[in-house]
Amino acid sequence: MLVIRPLQENDLDALYAMAQGAGKGLTTLPADRALLARKIQHAQETFNQRCAPEAGLYLFALEDTELKRCVGISGIQARVGLDEVFYNYRLSVTVNASRELDVHVRTPTLHLSNDMTGTTEVCSLLLSSSHRGGGTGLLLSRCRFMFLDDFRSHFSEKVFAEMRGVSDSNGQSPLWDALGSKFFDMEFSEADMLSGLGNKSFIAELMPKSPIYLPMLPDAARAVIGRVHENTEPALKMLQAEGFNFNGMVDIFDGGPAVEAFIHSIRTVREGINRHVMIRKKPLVTDVPAEQQVMISNRSFRDFRVTTIPAECIGLDTVSIPADVAEALEVESGDLVRLAPLKDTGRR
Amino acid sequence: MWLVRPAQPGDLNDILDIAGGQGPRMSSTLPKKQDALSTKIDQSTRSFAGINKPDEPKRFLFVLEDTRTGKVQGVSGIDARAGNGQPFYNYRQDALIHASHELGVSRRVEVLYPSHALTDHTLLCSFAIRPELRGTDAFELLSRARMLFIASHRSLFTDKVVVEIQGVQTQDGEVPFWDSLGRHFFNMDFETADQYSGLLSKTFIAELMPPNPIYVTLLSQAAQDALGQPHSQTQATYELLQREGFRAGCYLDIFDAGPVLEARTDALKSVVTSHPKTLHAASTDDGETCLICGGDGGDFRSTLTPLAESLQDQVKVSPKTWEYLGLSSGNTVRVTPL
Repeated sequence: MLVIRPLQENDLDALYAMAQGAGKGLTTLPADRALLARKIQHAQETFNQRCAPEAGLYLFALEDTELKRCVGISGIQARVGLDEVFYNYRLSVTVNASRELDVHVRTPTLHLSNDMTGTTEVCSLLLSSSHRGGGTGLLLSRCRFMFLDDFRSHFSEKVFAEMRGVSDSNGQSPLWDALGSKFFDMEFSEADMLSGLGNKSFIAELMPKSPIYLPMLPDAARAVIGRVHENTEPALKMLQAEGFNFNGMVDIFDGGPAVEAFIHSIRTVREGINRHVMIRKKPLVTDVPAEQQVMISNRSFRDFRVTTIPAECIGLDTVSIPADVAEALEVESGDLVRLAPLKDTGRR
Repeated sequence: MWLVRPAQPGDLNDILDIAGGQGPRMSSTLPKKQDALSTKIDQSTRSFAGINKPDEPKRFLFVLEDTRTGKVQGVSGIDARAGNGQPFYNYRQDALIHASHELGVSRRVEVLYPSHALTDHTLLCSFAIRPELRGTDAFELLSRARMLFIASHRSLFTDKVVVEIQGVQTQDGEVPFWDSLGRHFFNMDFETADQYSGLLSKTFIAELMPPNPIYVTLLSQAAQDALGQPHSQTQATYELLQREGFRAGCYLDIFDAGPVLEARTDALKSVVTSHPKTLHAASTDDGETCLICGGDGGDFRSTLTPLAESLQDQVKVSPKTWEYLGLSSGNTVRVTPL
């Protein structure tokens, strides 16, 4: 069984191995044991409510209960930009117009912005290659929306995700080469790595503060603004299916887009329903396609658990689940749980 | 004999001919269209006569006349206040230090800031001359007669004088700075933009340029190389103005990035060296060739003359020169060496 739970200290080895396997591009989880240990500790303090809600970092582990090992991780940062400065470029338009000259030129322009400050970010998604497919990635990502739904007061009304931008197999980013590197004598991969280590705002402070007129950048750089890395396409599609849209913000280094949604309009949130638990004796075929699975959460802040069950378990007022599922969710008969489809059903 | 005098309506066609021989230059203040030029000459005439309309800027236009033929061979101008009541646009070349203590790095970032700082300073402008005369004594006379006019009408002008030098242009007429910057905002090549610029005010066109600072590092290499560089054809002008005391500061032309030269009015060579003196007759045509000027306002004339003798308060020059200047013995003149 695959179960979502808060990340714990003993997940460090598994997390470190995953971070190493992820390679470049995953800036929020660099393969640095000390840093990862600090993140786990931060997450623990958050779930135990020993830190201020706005400073919260919620990291969820996907545990394979047979292997008794963490095989994936995903996260929510309660508020970005509170203890450091959070930068994006806002992609906007400058119009130069003159009726007499018959000129009306639209110039796409990047404005440095701190607009996302104070907004909740979903981040740090990483899934072990051994467990990809069959809707596991969906569970890892969407369990966060169930958490956001049940504990809205801890988060902003809007939530966003930064998507990895375009870089080639050598880690060269066309936007960085045309823009960032002109102001900061460094390879993209190095800047990216420094970002992950918490130096992003330092680097951002070296970046140009005045608007950047895109026609002044080479075509290769302009082409990647607001575009995601091909490996990130599935993640983008998943978020789009949840109702996330490009919000006009792009990463200052690689031009990757930010996508955002109001929590109340996220599909998982909208389609969620509550049911009382009934422990079932009847045998259950759990090995069903992702389309027929639903996520089930125990709605606990401190001991948050989510797993998947076949949709057929859902009754009018109750959901009948096998004893081992109830045990994994730490729920008993009569407890109120929340359910949401794992996959987009196409309903709107 | 070469004579510099205020432009008159009859000079219109000669000036148009000279202006037409100049390549495209958006910052030029010399109209290439008959109506606009005619208006400019009229305004100049009023400025010389001191009978400007209310709020009309003082703009002076001089011509270089070959007295043997009566043909005008060059033109030059002074705007008493750059911008003529409107903002006068330049880029100011400046630098920012982008530094991070935490990362141990410090980097100098070159930036071009849109600026109006030179607005209302006296501007030398509208200089055009037959190519074959470039670098000759007549060329020097045409340019420096303006400094002599300023010296003899000092109260009309400000304490600082500026002049825009044409920037780099390739042999095909391409302007690298324009191609890297202005063209994106106008969506037209330099020559087309230049044609429009003759019809509309410079301010109007400058306002189409981006209002924000421009990072030099994002310009094309050719544009970066052109910053503050004079057009090769302006070599003689540039050197002449340097001898006069002009220096390139931090300002650039917004269209072609040519340098803007600046000088303190009272430190200009022609102003410093040309004291008012009384005109007397010389018995000889020998002597070192000098610039001489006399006459107030519309009667202003300047020419080249052999200087027979220069004393504390008086100069002796050939009466033939008096004739050109329209002066007679006892009148006040200014003389300065070439």
